[in-house]
Amino acid sequence: MNPAAVGLPSILTIEDDPVLGAYVHEHLGRCGFQVTWCQNGQQGLEMARAQAFDVVLMDILLPGLDGLSVLTHLRRSHSIPVILMSALGAEADRISGFRLGADDYLPKPFSMVELRVRIEAILRRVALDRRPAPTLAPLREDAHSLRLDDEQWDVFYQERWAGLTRSEYRLLETLHRNAEEVLSKAFLYQQVLQRGYAPHDRSLDMHVSQIRRKLKAIGYSEREVRTVWGKGYVLSGHDDGL
Amino acid sequence: MTTGFKASLKRLPGKHSLFWKLACLLIAFCLLMIWLSWSWGRYMEQQNAYLSDEARVTLSGYAVGAEQAWNRDGNAGVDAWLQTMRQRESTWVGVIGNDLQSLSSYPLSDTESQRLTFLRGLDWPVSRHIKGLPWLKIPFAVDPGVGSLVIELPQRFMPGRYQVFWRVVTNGVIPGLFTLLLCIGLYRLLIMPLNQLREQANAWRADQLNTRLSHDATSRQDELGELGRAFDHMSERLQGTMVLQQQLLRDMSHELRTPLSRLRVACDSEQDLTQLRDRLGREIDAMQRLVEDSLQLAWLDAERAPLPKEDIQLQALWDMLRENACYESDWPASRLPCLLATDCWVRGNLNALAQALENILRNAIRHSPDGGVVCLDGRRDGAYWHLWLEDQGAGIDERDLERIFAPFTRLDGSRPGDGGFGLGLSIARNAVQRQDGSLWAENTGQGLRVHLRLPAR
Repeated sequence: MNPAAVGLPSILTIEDDPVLGAYVHEHLGRCGFQVTWCQNGQQGLEMARAQAFDVVLMDILLPGLDGLSVLTHLRRSHSIPVILMSALGAEADRISGFRLGADDYLPKPFSMVELRVRIEAILRRVALDRRPAPTLAPLREDAHSLRLDDEQWDVFYQERWAGLTRSEYRLLETLHRNAEEVLSKAFLYQQVLQRGYAPHDRSLDMHVSQIRRKLKAIGYSEREVRTVWGKGYVLSGHDDGL
Repeated sequence: MTTGFKASLKRLPGKHSLFWKLACLLIAFCLLMIWLSWSWGRYMEQQNAYLSDEARVTLSGYAVGAEQAWNRDGNAGVDAWLQTMRQRESTWVGVIGNDLQSLSSYPLSDTESQRLTFLRGLDWPVSRHIKGLPWLKIPFAVDPGVGSLVIELPQRFMPGRYQVFWRVVTNGVIPGLFTLLLCIGLYRLLIMPLNQLREQANAWRADQLNTRLSHDATSRQDELGELGRAFDHMSERLQGTMVLQQQLLRDMSHELRTPLSRLRVACDSEQDLTQLRDRLGREIDAMQRLVEDSLQLAWLDAERAPLPKEDIQLQALWDMLRENACYESDWPASRLPCLLATDCWVRGNLNALAQALENILRNAIRHSPDGGVVCLDGRRDGAYWHLWLEDQGAGIDERDLERIFAPFTRLDGSRPGDGGFGLGLSIARNAVQRQDGSLWAENTGQGLRVHLRLPAR
C-alpha cells in the first residue's frame, strides 16, 4: 500500500560509505523508489533544500557536515521526513537524533527489508497526515461491537468502559481503523507513539499487552489484537488465516 | 510545630560527627585560655605589686638605724642619721613621731605633711597605677609607739620592674604555646587521615589498586571515617571494574575470533552457494547478537545517567514476554504461569526490566526438562516487590550461584552451541541494578530460583 500514487516516491540518500551507499541505492531503486545518492553532508543539505524529496535517508558520521548538523539546518526550513542511520547504537545518540527532529533512527547493521519497512511506515504516516480526517463514525456505532469514544479516549462494550490510557486508545483506534490489515511496528510507532522504532523498545508491545488484558476484562472477544511475527500487529476476528 | 523541631533536629550533625569533637575541643580551649590569662595575669600582677624581700630588709634596717639614732641623741641624732641617709638614697627620707611631726630638728614642709596623710606599710601592695613613687611608713622596730621612718620608695625597690616581661609571658608566649599544641592536635585529628587518603591515591597512580586504607582510618565513627570507607568502596569498585574490563577484553577477543574463524572455514570449504549463504547468514546472526549483547553490557556498565522510570504492571509485562517466549520455544502458555496478582506494579524502566526478565526467562526455558514449568511469583516486601522466577531444571552448583552473573560464564552443564554467549544474566543483573533493584539466584532443590527485588510503585 504505497501512498504516492502519482509517480514514484523520491528518496535522498546521504551516505559516505561507497559500498553501503551503492547497495542501498541499487536496492531501493529496485523496490520502486526514485533514489538520489549523495556522499557529502554539505552537498546533501543543498540538494534537500533545492528539490522536493519524500524522505531523506542520512548517515550521522559524514564528511563535510555531519548528519546531526544537516538535520538541524534542514529543520529550520523544511519538515521533510528524515531517517537517520548510524552505527552509534547508544540510547543517547538515538535521543539526540529524535530531539533534533529525526523521524526515525535505524541502527547499523540493518537489513534491506527493515529499511524498506521503515521508509514505507513514514510515507504512509505522511500520507495519512495529509488526508482529511476520515469519517468513520457509523462504523463505530456498531451495536454489538466495540464503541470507540474519541472524547473519552476510551472504548465501551456492553455497558462497561475498558479504562484505556491515551496511547492505548490511539493504538487500538489505529488498529481498528485498519482492521484485518497487518500494521508494521515501524508504522505503529510512527503513527501512535510518534517516534522511531528500536529493537529494544518494548513500549508498543506493552501497550498491546494492556489492551488485550483490558478488552478481556470487559468481556470483549469478537476480535483481538494478534501478533504477526516478523511483521507487526493486526486487529482481527479470525482465529486463523494469518 | 513538633515536626519542624524534629526536622531541625535531623539537620544537626550525628552524634559521631566531627562537629562535636571540634566544638568540644575549641570551647574547652577557649575557656582554658580565658581562665589561664585571667588567673595567671592576676597572680603575676599581685606578685609584682609587693616589695621584694631585699627591699623590706633594707628598709627595715633603715628604720632600726633611725630608731637607734633617735634613742642615742634625739633630734640631733636623727639629723645626723638623715644626713648620712641622704648620701645613700636619692629619694626623700624623714623620721616622724606619733603626732605626725618630724623628729628631726627641721619641721615638715606643707607638701611633705600632705604626703604624710597617705602612707603605705611595708607589706602593702603597690599599685602600678600610682603616679611617681609611693611613700612608705616603717614604724620603729623596738618601740613602734615612738615614731616611724617615712621614706619615698627608692626607684630600685619599686616593684613591677619586670612587668612587661611577665605580661609578654602570660599574655603572649604561654597562649601561643597552647595554641601550637591545639594546632598539633587538630592536625593529627584532621589532616593525618587526609594524608593517608593521599597516599592511597598515589598508590593508585602507581597502579597498585589492591591497597586499602588502614583499619584505624576506616573504623572511625565520624565524617573522616565515612570518607575513608567511601574511598575504600571506591577503590574496590575501581579494582572490580578494571578486573572486569580485562576479563571482558580477554573473553571478547576469544568470542569474536571464534565466529570469524568459522566464517573463514565456511568461506574456504563450502562449495554449494545456497549452503554457503545459509551458513553465512547463521554466523552473521550469531555474531550480530554477540556484538550487540557485549556492547549493551558495556553501555549498561559505563552509562551512569538514570534511566527514565515508569509504573509497570508485572502481569502485563509477563503476558508480553510469555507471548515472545512461546513463539521462540514452542512452549504452550500454560507452562509459563504467573501467580502474581493484578496489583503488582513496580517502578522501573520498561525496556531494561523487560530485557532483564526476558533474559532470565530464556535462561530458565533453556535449562528446563521436557514438560517443565517456569513460574513467576512474588510478594510485597515493604517498599519493594520481591519476585522470583522458578524453573524445574537441574539447578546449579552452589559455588556457581554468583558466577552465573559474570559475563561470558557458560557452565559445564549447559548445552554447547545453543546460541548463548553467557551474557544474558549479566545484562539482566546490570539492568536490574540500574533501576535500584537487585538480582540473585538460589537453588530450591527442585530447580533454580532467580530472585528479583524491585522498588514498588
